[in-house]
Order: sequence, then C-alpha cells, then structure tokens
Amino acid sequence: MNFLNKNLAFNDLAKEFYNYESWFFLAKFDLKLKYRRAFLGPWWVVIGMGVSAGILCLLWSTIFNFNWREYLTYLFSGFIIWMYLSAAVTEAPGIFPNNKHLITSTNATPIFYVLRRCTLNLLLFLHHIPLILIVIFIVSPDIEIRTLITFPLGLFLVFINAVFLTLSLGFLGSRYRDIEPTVQSLMAPMFLLTPVLWKPEMLGDNINFIYLNPFTYFVGILRNDITGIEFDMYVWIGALVITTINIIIFLLVYTRKKNRLIFWL
Amino acid sequence: MKSFIKLENVNINFPIYDDNNRSFRNSFVQTSKALRFATTNKDTKGRRVVRGLKNINLDIGFGDRVALLGPNGAGKSTLLKLIAGIYHANSGNTSINGSVTSMLDMGFGFEEDATGYENIIIMNSVMGNPPKIAEDKMQNILDFSELGEFMHMPLRTYSSGMRARLAFSTAVETSPDILLIDEFLGTGDRSFMAKSKARIIETMRKASILLFASHTIHLVTELCNKGIFMKNGEIIFYGSYDDAYRIYEEDIHEDEKK
Repeated sequence: MNFLNKNLAFNDLAKEFYNYESWFFLAKFDLKLKYRRAFLGPWWVVIGMGVSAGILCLLWSTIFNFNWREYLTYLFSGFIIWMYLSAAVTEAPGIFPNNKHLITSTNATPIFYVLRRCTLNLLLFLHHIPLILIVIFIVSPDIEIRTLITFPLGLFLVFINAVFLTLSLGFLGSRYRDIEPTVQSLMAPMFLLTPVLWKPEMLGDNINFIYLNPFTYFVGILRNDITGIEFDMYVWIGALVITTINIIIFLLVYTRKKNRLIFWL
Repeated sequence: MKSFIKLENVNINFPIYDDNNRSFRNSFVQTSKALRFATTNKDTKGRRVVRGLKNINLDIGFGDRVALLGPNGAGKSTLLKLIAGIYHANSGNTSINGSVTSMLDMGFGFEEDATGYENIIIMNSVMGNPPKIAEDKMQNILDFSELGEFMHMPLRTYSSGMRARLAFSTAVETSPDILLIDEFLGTGDRSFMAKSKARIIETMRKASILLFASHTIHLVTELCNKGIFMKNGEIIFYGSYDDAYRIYEEDIHEDEKK
C-alpha cells in the first residue's frame, strides 16, 4: 500500500468542495432549527456571554484595579473567541459517532459531516460580532484599517484548522471512545492557561510560556487586531506552522484510516 | 459508457472491538506490553475479525437484474453496501461504472423539528443532491406521498405511517444507472402499499442494473433475470435466476432436514 496516498484525501476534499451546496445548506438549516427550537435561538448564548463577561469585567477591574475600558474589549473578544475554539475542539472526537446513522447509510465522505458541523460553528460565532462591535463602539480602541483584512483572514485560518483537527480527532475519537471525555476535561485547564482572562504581560518574565500553548496563536490572530493590540508577526507565523502540522496529520490519518472508519462506529 | 459492476477477489472483514481495545489508554498499555513480550504473547497481535465477504468475484453488466438470495447473515446487505460505496474492501478490486442509488435504509437524516417539505431537501442534501435538485423533484414527491397539508408541519407531528410515506416518496424519486434495494418493506396503509409497490417496480425497470435483496419471492421472481445465492459471506452460485432460486430452495430444504 502507498505510504501516503494523497490522491484519496485530495479527491475527497475536492468532491466535498464541489458539493458545497449540500453541506452549506445543511449547516444553515441546523442554525435555522436552533432559531426554531428557542425564541431568539443562538442569541441566548450571546446574551448570556455578554452578561457574564460584563460582570467579570466589572469585578476584575475593581478587584485588580484595571482600566475597565481597556479590559472590556480584551475580555469580551477573548471570551467569544475561546467559546468558538473550545466548541470546535470538544465536538471533534464525537463527530463521527454522532453521525453514525448517516455514515452507515450514505456514501458521503467523512469530510462532509465535518464541514457541516464546522460551518455551523462558524455561523454561530458570527452571531457574536454585533456584541464585539458594541463593545468597540463604547470603548473605541485604536483599530487600524488592516483589521478589515486580518480578521477575515484569521477567521479563515481558524476555520480550516477546525476542519482538519475535527477530522483527525474525529477518527481518533471513533476508534477510542475515551478520547472524547479526555478532551472535554482538558479544555477547562486549557481555558485557564490561555490568555483569555489575563494578559500575557501579567506573566512578567514567564511570558514566553504562553507560546507553548497552541490556542495562544489562534486567540491572538483573531483578537489582537480588534482590540488594538500591536501587530504580532509571531502569532501569525505560529498559526501558520500549526496549520501545516495539522494538515500533515490529517493527510496521514485520513489516507490510512478513511476506509476503516465505518467499522469503528 | 455502459454501466457495470466488477468485483475481483473482494474480502471484507469486520473487526471486533471489545471494551478493552476501545480505550486509548488500554491499547497503549497493551501495545507496550506486546512489544516487550512480542515472542510469547501472540494474541495481542492481529485483530479479531468476523468475515463479512469472502473472495467475491462478480461481473454484472447492463440489463442485469440480479436477485440476492440467501439466509440472514449471508452477506447480502454487506455486498450491497460495498457496491454503494459505504463499505470498502480490505482486499481485492472493485470497479463500478454508473451512478448508484441505494435504498438500503430509509428516513436517515430526518430532523424532528423540520417540516416534511424541509426534510425532503435535507434527505436529498445528505445524499449529495443540492437543494436545487431537490426542488425540481419536489412536486413529484408531494404528489406521490399524498401528505397534503402535513407537508408544512414538523415531522414530530407525523405518525409512523406518514413518516414511512415521506421517506419512501423521497427515496424513490430517483433515476440511477445502478439501483440497489435491500428488502424494502412497504409501510403505510394498504392503498399506499399497493401504490408504492407499483412505483418501485417502475423505478427498478428504469435502472440499467438492479440488485435486489428480498425475501418477498414473488416480487423477485417477477423482476429479476439473474440470481446470486450467498451463504456465510460467499457467493455459492451466480447465474440465471431460475437456477439460483432452485439452489436456494434446495439449501432451505437441506437445512430443514437437519
């Protein structure tokens, strides 16, 4: 057997890319159902997030004597971005077991289900943009014009990383059912280790430790430019390196295990 | 190019996973043990498997309507799922030419909170037909299912008969080159059952290749010109329908004698 049968992976990626109408429709429909099931739909999450981030900002700026204006955008954007990243990671191991019935009845590739889910998560994340805009309007940090390019670019990078990570972790999570609870319980300490609530400079001399955490880069590429933090080239380079590693892992896992997935479900 | 199905020496094994090797931690511990005692402990090497299909050779061409006969567990559904592209062979060659539609399982992908109308689009999307195509088929599906006003009500208000109507009407609205059907069970009331039987026969006749696994013998006899008799994952006989059926009958009688 071919060590790395890249064609299998690329053919499947191309197939689902051309089939975008189907999964994009399904993702939009999943969102629509969220609206239908609850009045205000996903906005409840946005409201809940706004309230808790607001309270946290009030408390912390009082306790630690921060400048609340500066902290408000930082905390809000951090919270929202973290929610998105954390959902992408925690849902990944269960993606194929949760779609078992469909996978065993149709010949869509595993990528199809991942794109459906990741698109839904992206659409849910976009619901939080108004909240960020309101905060930016209140605080008016110095945002440069390049944000109009870097923010969508960052979103795109996070999205493709979510897709490839979900695929790799999805295979692992289907084969080994203890991966899902493990990943879920690891995400809580990761939240504390990632600069979401605190700022990197608060670590003083230990600041470099944050660069060991992959989430730092993805929070960074999305947050820095909307909170008026100085442009940090390292964060982008780091994110690109992780993306490359992520794609290589995907190719290795997918080309070898795609045909076995169905036996694990 | 004309549609065909060619299988050469195809094998499918189903691995058995027990609680132990479903756990990442345990399998890690086991591998390290296996490495250490590689010579003495052979059981940890090699997976435990059940044979799904064994050495399948098959050549089905244009105009063949093939009946799949055999007892439960013979591998009929596995063979259909292999041709449908759901299972992949562990070894051997599979080449299939032509668009394949499988009616192996109905009503997958349904959303309880979506209306019947929306579920038709959902089911089509799941099968890889974009919404535009589903819209084109819509009128036929609506007419055939006779669900009327219920089409705009959420699926949770449907009775099981109505669900079956919706699933069947959506699935049958297709015109593939290769059609795979696994024991479609007519549900719904008597008038719908008669109608759906007529409709599925029409769809089967349109397809250039049909593979039909069913225990409803009179239907199979009416529709098929070739037959496969399978047992324990192997093809025992492939040839004319009458011969396959005769061998199938003989096998049943032999089992009864035992």
